[in-house]
Amino acid sequence: MNPILVLGGGPAGLSATAELASLGAPTLLVERESYLGGNPKRWHYSLLAPDLRPAEEVMDPLLERVTGRPEVELRLGTTLTKAERTATGFSVALRSADTTVTREVSAVVLATGFDHFDSRRKFEYGYGRYPDVLDFKELEGMIHDDKVLRPSDGRPPKRIAWILCVGSRDVQVGNPWCCRMGCAVSIKQAVEIRQKHPEIDAYVYYMDIRTYGLWEDLYWKSMQEYGVKFIRGRIGQVTVAEGGSRLIATGEDTILSRPTEVPFDMIVLASGMEPGTGTKQAAELFGVPVGPEGFLTPRLSDLNPVDSGIPGVFFAGAATGPKAIPDAVTEGMGAALRAFQYARR
Amino acid sequence: MLSANEIRKVVAERTAHQKGTGKRVVDVREEMERLEERGELVIHRIRPENRPVEASTLFGWTKRIPTDRLWHHKSCGQCGNIPGYPSSLLWLMNETGRSYLNEPHQTSCTAWNYHGTATSNPVALAAVAARNFHRAYETGHFPLIHCGTSFGDYKEMRKLLVENTEVRHKVREVLRKMDRDLVLPEEIVHYSEWVHAMTPEILARQRYPVKGIIATVHEPCHYYKMVPEDAVYDDAIYAGQRPAVPSGILMALGATVADYSTWYDCCGFGFRHILSEREFSRSFANLRKIRPMVEEAHADVAITSDTGCVTTLDKSQWIGKAHGLSYLLPVLADVQFAALALGAHPYKIAQVHWHSSSTEGLLTKMGIDWRTAKEEFQEYLRALKAGATPELLHPAHGEIETFFAVNKGQVLPEASGPAPTSASASAPAAVPAVGGPAK
Amino acid sequence: MSIVARLPRRTLSLTEEEEAAPPTMELTGRRRMTAEERGTAATIFQEFRADRRHREFVVGCLNCGECTTGCPAARFYDFSPREMLQIAQNGDATTLWDAMQEKIWACCQCYTCNMRCRFGNDIAGIISVMRELSVSHGLESTRRTLAPFGRSLTLLMTVGTQVASDMIQPDFFRDWGPFATGSDKVWQVSAEVMRKAIPSDVLQTTRSSWEVSVQTSLELFRIYEETGVLDMLRGLDPDLTEMLIDIIEERREEFVEARERFQDQLAGQTGPVTTFSG
Repeated sequence: MNPILVLGGGPAGLSATAELASLGAPTLLVERESYLGGNPKRWHYSLLAPDLRPAEEVMDPLLERVTGRPEVELRLGTTLTKAERTATGFSVALRSADTTVTREVSAVVLATGFDHFDSRRKFEYGYGRYPDVLDFKELEGMIHDDKVLRPSDGRPPKRIAWILCVGSRDVQVGNPWCCRMGCAVSIKQAVEIRQKHPEIDAYVYYMDIRTYGLWEDLYWKSMQEYGVKFIRGRIGQVTVAEGGSRLIATGEDTILSRPTEVPFDMIVLASGMEPGTGTKQAAELFGVPVGPEGFLTPRLSDLNPVDSGIPGVFFAGAATGPKAIPDAVTEGMGAALRAFQYARR
Repeated sequence: MLSANEIRKVVAERTAHQKGTGKRVVDVREEMERLEERGELVIHRIRPENRPVEASTLFGWTKRIPTDRLWHHKSCGQCGNIPGYPSSLLWLMNETGRSYLNEPHQTSCTAWNYHGTATSNPVALAAVAARNFHRAYETGHFPLIHCGTSFGDYKEMRKLLVENTEVRHKVREVLRKMDRDLVLPEEIVHYSEWVHAMTPEILARQRYPVKGIIATVHEPCHYYKMVPEDAVYDDAIYAGQRPAVPSGILMALGATVADYSTWYDCCGFGFRHILSEREFSRSFANLRKIRPMVEEAHADVAITSDTGCVTTLDKSQWIGKAHGLSYLLPVLADVQFAALALGAHPYKIAQVHWHSSSTEGLLTKMGIDWRTAKEEFQEYLRALKAGATPELLHPAHGEIETFFAVNKGQVLPEASGPAPTSASASAPAAVPAVGGPAK
Repeated sequence: MSIVARLPRRTLSLTEEEEAAPPTMELTGRRRMTAEERGTAATIFQEFRADRRHREFVVGCLNCGECTTGCPAARFYDFSPREMLQIAQNGDATTLWDAMQEKIWACCQCYTCNMRCRFGNDIAGIISVMRELSVSHGLESTRRTLAPFGRSLTLLMTVGTQVASDMIQPDFFRDWGPFATGSDKVWQVSAEVMRKAIPSDVLQTTRSSWEVSVQTSLELFRIYEETGVLDMLRGLDPDLTEMLIDIIEERREEFVEARERFQDQLAGQTGPVTTFSG
């Protein structure tokens, strides 16, 4: 049997690879970056929602399951440049730094993932212009290293605001969908900071809190146990005051129906999820249907969310839409099974 | 920070895919071409004699700004209580050798009647716009809109007339009753865009360096928040994140354009508010605009490019004393500032005496001898009182024009190719000298 | 199909029966409406929902409040564009009626809300539609709100400009300070002379912003007659409307006389001369 190609080494791709290896299927894991672990690794995620376990505790076992296995051939720093259907599957061209090799594969799992929304595109918030306006993926690294300091002057902040739905649910930037993660991750960050530094005030500006299912617990606890404050309303604009040393968040408190202007030391943007660059490229190479949002579209998103409808091509993880790590891991398992069945047909 | 090119791309994305609503911002000019082919309207085209200059809009579309042979679409408020505004513009046109018509055959856009008191409706507004457009067309001069609200309203009305068949047919029916038909200008052009396009020629005539002057710009809402895709942006000005006018000319002249936190807020004009809810207008203007301009940016002057904004920001300050707000920051239109920098007479041309917040301190800082100019002006007033003939920037209209919109350089709809016959009374060479630079 | 486009156009769309008998919601503590007011409110509601602009301007709302964030009126009045949009979107005749009594007049029409809205609504536009209806139905509150505008309305409709320099009277505009009105106290000359000192003859009038030719004024009035504006105004102030018609009648007579007086000059004009007869 020719190997099964898994494209993408984030949670979904790692999960698919691990399952395929345990089934004894030869697996070719291709990752564009020089490391495995996807966005959680890239941005040094700290604790993961909903159980607040350190990212390493979740990601390391996944990584262990694919490394050193004889069934798994790992190609890092490699991108797919060509894919052609053959009698037994696909012939694919793989390019690393200076060489291109052609390989025959029996089936494909697309686990190409998402990119964080580039917050500079919502320039009302001054991200990239005011140093103390951060993207929440950058704050993850700061929390991880317990160095939550203002980039402008290196001093600890006294009051932090989170703005949810930056680049999500917004036709002004062309992204009307919900990122599903922004609420939980922002609340989790606020909790982490309040745990370690109760002297820092944490405010979350929201339209709706979507800590769906059992994650709701996080939302409740953040208020009950950690005193995180929630203000219903969006910030429309961030400006500076006091000679640029303080940020001013302007918005409407939609519960009180009053405009608000609050000074903050640091403002954190919960940037949304967009289809990853790899997702767009893979869609073109395999001729996979793509929705208007740019995510891959399963043939039957309810009955079989990992089938593309194209024989031999399967999906896993955030390539088909915003997704949490547990969902990505589950889909990786499903896609592994479907790809294995196809390859053995 | 994003580079100008990246911003341009982002802004283009904002219009191009508008996923979700299915709304896509359509270039109304393309639709106008199709309607003209079907004989539903005539496009008043910018022609070589209008000496157009290209500029770029919010979405990176090209907008052609005519700089010559213009028809002045005046503003009620400017002419009514800040007359130095239009006269500075006319003076700059004379200085730079541009021809124009300034006639009595224009009504206001009447948008006040809609946005202020709602005693009108969109069909009437569209018909008024079309009537004025047609008048400009038949004189062979391209309309130049002085007022920000008129500019915003005309952009909206052009869109409405193009996109709504019912309104278009009704307006044509009304126009026919006055021997007119539907003409839409190729571009709706605000005077500040003319200033932007004329920047090199204005700079070539600069007399007073304005290096030390700190200016804060109030961007008129109706310039860029109404039909946003039609406002001019420039990569070199705020990296294309804010409109290029009127900041561009100030920077080019050498002034420091300073930022302040409430730049995005309106001025507080509010249409009916400026007359019947002045407590609101002046509170907003003083607390939300003037105070940040002075306290954050240490401004010497506030510059804006619309009627209502100059009025509100300027007239609201005097009463501020009652609440301990004694800023008295001079407020000028971009054209007044530019004309002063080129040596226009502060009183005879820039007519600064109509402004509530004294401009004399600013004039001193610019190096302009306003004391001599003021004496000259007082003498001129005494002469006028004694019956002297007023000095004019352009020839006076004849008595017949008190009644009839007689034609000058008529262009028929069929004849959009050749240049119109020149019966124009606006050659700057024939203009009697007036004002002149203060010493 | 995108996520939102897949949804029905408006989830709160009304059934035919509901359209026929608009729902009313009695808010606790509000003044009871008279039967007549109820009737007017129902008619206004139906006209409002039937207006094409309602379909175009009101798309949906996440209640994010970004519209209110930039709203100047929201800082000083009990007003928010978000609330106005909610009222416009939801099907309730009495709430619409209540909003039309006072709140709609707080709006500055600056369009800041429109530029900010992440759902693509035209909020300033839908407020204008409410205002139009309050005028055409001659609401008592609207009459009071617009009472100070008789002079500017008359000037606009019979001449064509909104203000005149002689409207900026020192007594009425004391808060604008001594310079705003070109006061004779400062310059020792009359307002007429101050206007003469403006270097454009078209501006040298005190009775309008600029001199508007009679033909142009009459054309404007014809537009108002033909587009239903006079009818709107009749609902608000029948006396004022009759006065406007009288003024225009005089101007028409003046125009016809002038046509005879300038017969020769008009004949000598190059290009077609207007056949407009007033």
